[in-house]
Amino acid sequence: MTRELPTKPDWLKPLFPWEQHSITVNGRLMAYVDEGDTKARPVLLLHGNPTWGFLYRDFIGPLTEAGYRAIVPDWIGAGYSDNPRVDAVLTSAHHIADLVSLMDQLKLRGFVIVGQDWGGPQGVGAALQRVERLDAIVLMNTWLFTGYVGRFHSSPRPWTTWHAPLIGQFFMKRHKVLSLEGPSTVSQRGMTETEAQGYHHIYEETDSDHVVLTWPRTIPMREGDRGWNDILNIERRLPELADVPTLLLWAPEDNVFPIEYANRLKELMPHAEGPITFDKAAHFLQDDRGPDLARAIVEFLNRTVGGSL
Amino acid sequence: MKFITPAEEELSYLRADPLLWEQELDVRPEVAEDIEKATGIRAGRVYWRSEHDHLYALELADLGRGRPSMAMVYGFWDRYEPRPPEHEIDADLLKFMIWVGEISKSIDSSDVERVAEFAQMQTGRLQTTWPEGSVLRTPEERFANLPGFPYEAKYVEVEGLRMAYVEEGKGDPTLMLHGEPTWGYLYRHMIPPLSKVGRVIVPDQIGCGRSDKPVADNAYSYKAFVRWMRKFVQTLDLQGITLIGQDWGGLVGLRIVAQMPERFSRLVMMNTGIPDGRGGTRAFFAWRRFSQRQTELDVPALIKQAVQDHTLTDAEAAAYGVPFPSKEYQTAALLWPRQVPTRPDHPGAYDNRVAIEVLRTLDTPVLLPWAGGDAVTHGGDAGLRRIFKNCAPPLPIESAGHFIQEDAGEEVAKHIIDWIESIQKIS
Repeated sequence: MTRELPTKPDWLKPLFPWEQHSITVNGRLMAYVDEGDTKARPVLLLHGNPTWGFLYRDFIGPLTEAGYRAIVPDWIGAGYSDNPRVDAVLTSAHHIADLVSLMDQLKLRGFVIVGQDWGGPQGVGAALQRVERLDAIVLMNTWLFTGYVGRFHSSPRPWTTWHAPLIGQFFMKRHKVLSLEGPSTVSQRGMTETEAQGYHHIYEETDSDHVVLTWPRTIPMREGDRGWNDILNIERRLPELADVPTLLLWAPEDNVFPIEYANRLKELMPHAEGPITFDKAAHFLQDDRGPDLARAIVEFLNRTVGGSL
Repeated sequence: MKFITPAEEELSYLRADPLLWEQELDVRPEVAEDIEKATGIRAGRVYWRSEHDHLYALELADLGRGRPSMAMVYGFWDRYEPRPPEHEIDADLLKFMIWVGEISKSIDSSDVERVAEFAQMQTGRLQTTWPEGSVLRTPEERFANLPGFPYEAKYVEVEGLRMAYVEEGKGDPTLMLHGEPTWGYLYRHMIPPLSKVGRVIVPDQIGCGRSDKPVADNAYSYKAFVRWMRKFVQTLDLQGITLIGQDWGGLVGLRIVAQMPERFSRLVMMNTGIPDGRGGTRAFFAWRRFSQRQTELDVPALIKQAVQDHTLTDAEAAAYGVPFPSKEYQTAALLWPRQVPTRPDHPGAYDNRVAIEVLRTLDTPVLLPWAGGDAVTHGGDAGLRRIFKNCAPPLPIESAGHFIQEDAGEEVAKHIIDWIESIQKIS
């Protein structure tokens, strides 16, 4: 018996007209957009917390028009994918294994990872498992290392208090302070009500937002923290990516991953281009500056790897 | 946080509602360890009662990692009743969150408060008081020029609700509590004589008279009426109280006596009781069945029908309808009859049984003026006589009906004044 993805509301369709496919990864249903020529180079557009594929709606058109295949999965727990109510299946290891399963089942080769926020470590983490098939990386306001924690993630107001044991259940689950107030709150261009709803409607159902709480708890600050080993594994393997064309696109006005994170990435991946900075953009830079970022990515890919395999 | 051990019997009348499920309590091991230290347990439950008198529990599970590793926070509600308003639960949970901050070395409780303020501002969802539109207030002009009731209302705020009361005279306080479906107006014949000899305080219960009226059914419970009236007494800090209660005035008042017996010097109970869940009179069941099938009560007609003294004018009867401009204002009046505990597991029955055990121990003098023309509370004075040690001789008022204050207010007031004098002479 095949299950179907939840139906999208009609109001969403003008903003997000693409059909999402579904695929079973590790026993759970994952939703993903797959647009463009299936023979073209696949570009995996990977979102973070608390968003879903909607965040890349300005990227799909430009990439497919430039001759690439755009694949936009919703992580398990997010968007239109299954949202298991069990914290233990929402670890970095699970997320990475889910993406690896998608890559395997779609038989992706010569793929490109585009990741922001959790799309960075989870995307690169999965790519490292199939590093032979990886051709390029684009990173935006994210991190891949343990050694540095910025002010936002170490601050008790609101971050570490928000997701503390028990307290997180009250603020983040019972009151959905992040799942229903995320991207709209920091939007620099002033997104419309409908666009805000596009991000938030997926978490309106009670208890549908486990991942919005497990993700913050997986940002490791000290050895032994949830997620420490996974980030450390990625960090240690970064030298393996020395020959992979890499581009850093950055919104320095983002208070979550300020420019220090880009500088640290540049130290660890000295071959990376950039960081190319984009103003008038905060943490969800794909929403604030989508077309400009898409143009920069197409230009970079055309120059380095091209659309055909 | 003061942890308590509720009786098995109490728990049997409640249902445990999981409010917060923390699957990864030791995602920060030091917090889990601090919780173990503060509760004294690694696995099991600790219980506490909130400011709203709601019972909560924190349940910890030990998964063998040397500290509690999972947690559940339960609210306990009347077993088959909808849970109380969400803002009460949120206020209670927020207190608990702040406690977690206080006992955790790695969390600052002031950060929890600041984050809560931030969440309140940002989302508007985290409500710790009555949300917009959930409480009605009868327009004050409706209370102008009521016959025989020249008393201005005074107000105190209880849990964000405005509670109205009349205060007349000086001296030891006499607290007069009304019941269904009336308000302080019912005591207008007793206020003048009693205010000559003391300080008379006549509050309107929440949902009645000039007090605020939450709209939702689940705002009201026996426990809530008791809580509101207790906080009223505490706010005015009344001491040496002579408590006069009729109908729900007694049901509520006697529970407060059991909670704070030291504040009460004398009890006057009239056509009321503290039902322990063992049935009721046929007349009560008939009234309950009738009332629970109404969508709106014609209060003036009900009063007129029940009152034996036919000098009650239409204008006076109409004054009982003044608090209710429409049926939306009548939530309390409409549901009160079904909240009288008639079964052992009825919400409030257990609490009353516990209260009765306290009342049995009191030496407080009790006077029981009892209307003979009231089938609903017939025999109730004998019931109270079995509870209280120090009852005055029976005082039947044969000519009066359920609203004894209407039918024989001045007469009863005189009896009360004489009785108080006789007690004071003896002592």
